[in-house]
Amino acid sequence: MIRESDAPRIAAEVRARVVEQRVRAARHGGRPLEEVLNETLFHERRRLARAPDAEEARGFYHGIASTLPRASDAELQRMLSSVVARYVHEIEGHFDPSIYKIATRVLPVGMAGLLNGFSPRTLAKRGTLPSFDNQIQVEGDVDALRRLTERGTVLYVPTHSSNLDSIILGSGLHQLGLEPATYGAGLNLFENRMVGYFMQNLGAYTVDRLKTDPVYRDTLKEYSTVILEYGRHQLFFPGGTRCRSGALETYLKKGLLGTALSAYTNQLKSGRDRRLYIVPVTVNYPVVLEASTLIDDYLQHSGRSRYIIVDDEFSKLERWASYGRGLLRLNMRIHLRFGAALDPFGNDVTAHGESLDPSGRTIDPSGYLKLAGEVRSDASRDAEYTRMLARRIVASYKDNNVVCATHVVAFALFHALYSREKPKDLYRFLRALGPAVTLRIEDFLPTLRQLLIEVRTLAAAGQIHGADVVATGTAEAVLEQAMRMFGTYHTRPVVVRTGDRLAVDDANLLFYYRNRLEYYGFLGQKTLLKERHEHAERSTL
Amino acid sequence: MSHEAMETRAEPTRATQAHVAVLGAGNWGTTLAHLIASTGHTVRLWARDAAVVRSINDERVNRRYLDGFSLHAGITATADLASCVQGAELIVMVLPSSAFRSVCQTIAPMLEPWQAVFHATKGVESGSYRRMSQILLEETCIRQYAVISGPNIAREIMEQKPSGTVVASPFPRLTAAAHLLLTSDTFRVYENADVVGVEMGGTLKNVIAIASGISTELGLGENTRSLLVTRGLQEMIRIGRAFGADSSTFSGLAGIGDLMVTCASVHSRNFRLGRGLAQGRNAQEVAESLGMVAEGVYASKVAFDFARDKGIYAPVMGAVYAIVHQARPALEAIDGLMRMQARPDVDFG
Repeated sequence: MIRESDAPRIAAEVRARVVEQRVRAARHGGRPLEEVLNETLFHERRRLARAPDAEEARGFYHGIASTLPRASDAELQRMLSSVVARYVHEIEGHFDPSIYKIATRVLPVGMAGLLNGFSPRTLAKRGTLPSFDNQIQVEGDVDALRRLTERGTVLYVPTHSSNLDSIILGSGLHQLGLEPATYGAGLNLFENRMVGYFMQNLGAYTVDRLKTDPVYRDTLKEYSTVILEYGRHQLFFPGGTRCRSGALETYLKKGLLGTALSAYTNQLKSGRDRRLYIVPVTVNYPVVLEASTLIDDYLQHSGRSRYIIVDDEFSKLERWASYGRGLLRLNMRIHLRFGAALDPFGNDVTAHGESLDPSGRTIDPSGYLKLAGEVRSDASRDAEYTRMLARRIVASYKDNNVVCATHVVAFALFHALYSREKPKDLYRFLRALGPAVTLRIEDFLPTLRQLLIEVRTLAAAGQIHGADVVATGTAEAVLEQAMRMFGTYHTRPVVVRTGDRLAVDDANLLFYYRNRLEYYGFLGQKTLLKERHEHAERSTL
Repeated sequence: MSHEAMETRAEPTRATQAHVAVLGAGNWGTTLAHLIASTGHTVRLWARDAAVVRSINDERVNRRYLDGFSLHAGITATADLASCVQGAELIVMVLPSSAFRSVCQTIAPMLEPWQAVFHATKGVESGSYRRMSQILLEETCIRQYAVISGPNIAREIMEQKPSGTVVASPFPRLTAAAHLLLTSDTFRVYENADVVGVEMGGTLKNVIAIASGISTELGLGENTRSLLVTRGLQEMIRIGRAFGADSSTFSGLAGIGDLMVTCASVHSRNFRLGRGLAQGRNAQEVAESLGMVAEGVYASKVAFDFARDKGIYAPVMGAVYAIVHQARPALEAIDGLMRMQARPDVDFG
């Protein structure tokens, strides 16, 4: 666990490393520092042009711009150092270790209170906070996880479908009595006033996705690496942003993911063999708070351009309250499932943290970094190792997907209508779905039954998991539960029943929830999503 | 970056100070062992057959698979896998594709994470469609791997006729090591980053070689052979792309290069297999008379099954499959090809 006194040392370490890397590169024929700083100026000024209240920052960069043309080598290095110091300060700015300790214990419960529909003021007045634990079901090998957090440093890499994910994971760790994990949260979350207060003190460090300067990215990566080296468990979403389509992530960002390997290498080089474990996690919601915004964004093909969504359900208190009330009234559960831990090379590890080869033999993972017996750095080698790790994480998501009644009903209904209409164009099909397109429940149930058989067969092999009624209930019971869940939170109830028929009320949401079962080939359905995939070298994807 | 490069240059001109293990003492495995020993490395060559081990260690020849060539003194043959593999920084696997997985399983407990594997096996596993590098990753702790493939007739290389090969790997250190292991005045190493393309080129060309052998034996002439080989290349590209290969790789040594040699050389096993089939003999019989594994027999099944499963247009592969595995008369199969509707000349884009 990190000590309070570590914070300034971490900041100094990060700054030293980023500057040193750039200086070394410049000396060996890489980019000259002047060019590096010019690029920083370009990116930061472009960003600041659209940022209000940034006089101080503008002044800072104006100072650099005017000194740059005549700067000596020593001055260039000093300027770079000041830029990096500024970035480090922003990244760790909100972090206060003394609050962190208390906050990580109290806040998950406080957030739960919000979800329960209490206002922050009510919460503050109450002596005891309401528990939300019943709504979060923790699954997976928690005993092994507990041992791993003691043996080494754990990097949690969850699927990402909601801004609630980090809070759910925080609550889950709290419930298990495990050490909290710090994480990089988008600056937009801090700017959201209601959530901001909680986020600020939750041990989160800041990630500003609007900062495009490569030096900023270096700093962020190095910060993540250094805090792992200091033994602080960390959490980040390797898919990047919340998945717009509702599907499981099939492609991961390697930059941050690679920090696990960097941290492990640095530790070995300094003579410490504290292990690093990567724990894939799935956060599974029967109903997703921001589903409408996310799927609309996906369908508008603007997922990239609207990289950051600030005006979604997450920022609206009444949506939170409605969501929380719905969860409680129907006793809906959010399934937080911890997958088996991996080492930084994607190998399985034992409950005691030893790396295993595919035949189950214990191996020493430090060997992967050695050449002629010595630990060596090799960027392209490590990039490939990280790709291998990414493949294992993606495969783990698929195996640890906990499917709810809403997912199976959406998949089966979508499939039944899709194969009946045989549309040439997905988007036209979605637009055409409405009250006029109906299906007799009697005709729908066989499809749902077939899907349940397929899901349960796969579940028996441990390659997917059925939540509650999906694991054991009849098709009728699954449909019943899905209808209630669909009807409780979304403005439009996704699917409606009129007499003995089902009709789609929100086609986009139906598509969103069915997408969680994409990539399994259920009901012989071909893939409809065109997402990027990790090459499946070691998995059965 | 350049800092690392300087470090590499400062190393001695050997890929490793430890010994290099070569698994498989067929004609290509023996030739690779000889090339590696010739660049100053100590080689341990594993052979299943004790007679081959004796012939190499006692007489410095491989009577069974590469008779007539004197082998480098730096090679020690052994029938003991463990002593061959253990301690080797680099391991070169040159095995029939049908034995690849089982050998991986056997050596898995002997391997360590710091070791690297090169493989020179041309094939894809039937049923699973797994490439050899995938099998290696699935079965062992090895992560650093490379593939060697190209137009390499073993005897010509032993005769020191100028030749070249391709090494593909996601690990640049290994492609660099391949130069130190193999490059000589008469043998050149080319690099490629497309592992899938290099593996698929080496695998699929064997099927087209069978077609070429058939056409030659039937006396159909050079036009026919050129037609079959060129159309066959289009099929290789289509199937290769479905596996994830880059189509440009097929214009390199592991594609057209290997195809040219294997579709014309009397030394090519698969070409000879095709000739035997055209004489009306069955595949089993011809393969036995060759005394060596003709990978095209397996590859034609994999290519046919895969093309069928994925709906890929591959009539030449289909015809070879029918001749090899369903005893369809060769002339009839070629006639069938000529009656098919002609498609665009180049259509893999």
